[in-house]
Amino acid sequence: MSAIDWTIIGLYLAWIVWDGIRMSRDTGKIEGYFLASKSLPWWAVGLSVMATQLSAITMTSSTGQGYADGIGLLQQYYALPIAMIIISVTFVPFFRNANIYTAYEYLERRFDARVRSMTALLFLFSRGMGTGVVISAPAVVLSVLIGADISTICVLLAVPTAIYTMYGGVQAVAWTDVKQMYLIVFGLVAATVTLVTGLPDSISVTDALTLAGTAGKLQAFNFSTDPSVRFTFWTGTLGALFLFLSYFGTDQSQVQRYLTAKSDAEAQTSLFMSAYWKIPLQALVMIIGVLMFVFYLFTPPPMLFNSVHEQRVRASARAGEYAGLEQRFTAAVDARSAAAQQLAQAERLGDSTAIAAQQAAFRDSEAQVKGVRTEAVALVKDVTGDRSYNDVNYVFPTYIVTQMPVGLIGLLMAAIFAAAMSSIAGELSALATSTVMDFYRRWVRSDADDAHLLRVSRFAMLFWALFASVVAIWAAELGSLIEVVNRFGSFFYGSILGVFLLAIGWSRANAIGALVGLVAGMSVVAYFTLYTNVAFLWHNLIGAVVVFVVGMIVSEVTGPRKA
Amino acid sequence: MSSVRTTYVKVIAVWAITLAALYAFQVYFSR
Repeated sequence: MSAIDWTIIGLYLAWIVWDGIRMSRDTGKIEGYFLASKSLPWWAVGLSVMATQLSAITMTSSTGQGYADGIGLLQQYYALPIAMIIISVTFVPFFRNANIYTAYEYLERRFDARVRSMTALLFLFSRGMGTGVVISAPAVVLSVLIGADISTICVLLAVPTAIYTMYGGVQAVAWTDVKQMYLIVFGLVAATVTLVTGLPDSISVTDALTLAGTAGKLQAFNFSTDPSVRFTFWTGTLGALFLFLSYFGTDQSQVQRYLTAKSDAEAQTSLFMSAYWKIPLQALVMIIGVLMFVFYLFTPPPMLFNSVHEQRVRASARAGEYAGLEQRFTAAVDARSAAAQQLAQAERLGDSTAIAAQQAAFRDSEAQVKGVRTEAVALVKDVTGDRSYNDVNYVFPTYIVTQMPVGLIGLLMAAIFAAAMSSIAGELSALATSTVMDFYRRWVRSDADDAHLLRVSRFAMLFWALFASVVAIWAAELGSLIEVVNRFGSFFYGSILGVFLLAIGWSRANAIGALVGLVAGMSVVAYFTLYTNVAFLWHNLIGAVVVFVVGMIVSEVTGPRKA
Repeated sequence: MSSVRTTYVKVIAVWAITLAALYAFQVYFSR
């Protein structure tokens, strides 16, 4: 990267820290620090909700999945608008009328302190781990780009975020989220424009999409009922519905957002921003992956996008084997490029016989390219010992650095930083809020004044920033990052949602029922995770249903009372 | 119909149109 691009990234980092501190108001009081004194407008809350959910993983791993497998991942978001309606009807008025700081506080009022503490503890554990994964995505990207140690980059990324979050609390988080969201959208649009203008003159956008469609990259709907298939219309609408209900309805990082809104109506409206825009935004991300696939049909791609791993294989005893694969890869890529040109030509002429023949030739050559890449990835795993190596995470960053103009490279990298920092900041704020309000104030110092709680809150944020950085280093060793995040979430999400559904939906539910149901739900999800190949999105539904049913039965048996 | 209900109907309508557009997109370019 050039000095100009590094300067842009540096300016962005300095500006966002300064802006976060500048926009903080009323942070001398705990309500101002954690709830922005319930003063934020709906659009700021809405953008903050979207920015927290859209992490650097979305920018790097999802675009890579679009490149490798097409837009099927998009199905995971189909239930989001429906989830938002359900949440705005149920959770939003419940939480706001309860006048609480954390979602789990509500469970103490409904059940008892044990249920609150247990769900808060699960949140802290799973979200602390998840934040680590969110940090590791851009760290992995930068480690390949500049050859720096991943752990150093994790800390460098977490520290600026921790500074403005510690200083300004949730207001700093929300207002920086707004700016970061603008930067992210600008970056995505700029990447799309660059990709489209980078196509050969003979290939139009329609040609590009037809080629992608022929290669099976535009399958936005998969109606398979096989429960082991990860992304289908059914996992996206039923399984993911429970994931979103849990994430937006019970996860402190999201609940805290709509607790900061001026009114119930503004909180509900902020959620509808995601309902309207999340699917189109995610579609844009996936289309960038698909356009990269088309771009690399006509511009020879590297066989592997992780140059560090590639160099290690070249320096190993199996370098000859790798060179042989490269020769086959080059031949397959050339054949695919020729087949793509001929297919586009046949499409323009409208010759159905030629189209069918060229489609077969194009698909065959694409299969060969994929086959060689699979062999190359297996070779990398053997040589490096990195069993979870997933090349797709490196596709978009490599495209940015090698194909985009100077200046835009810096802006795109800043956008990836923005995506990571907006998510990290939201999570740190939520983790600190839960730590202080659900544990410290509840169990240690219930009489503490605001000044004392603020000091503890800032210390808690620092602790979670360090914890997440350590997890990030470990998470970088795992597989495709987006799935890792969702796996962490799915293990607990469904079960925690089940407890809230029990609290809101079953008037005779009691604390014993909630606790037994929670343990039962997590046990069943653990069984499905360890011993079956049922897709992880189903785990949310399974967990929620088990908790609700078991909790209901136990409550009926033990009586409608507090334990 | 209250304004809140109108909003819910709008969200569902936009959702249905979005999914229909994506399905049409898939069918058109995956011939």
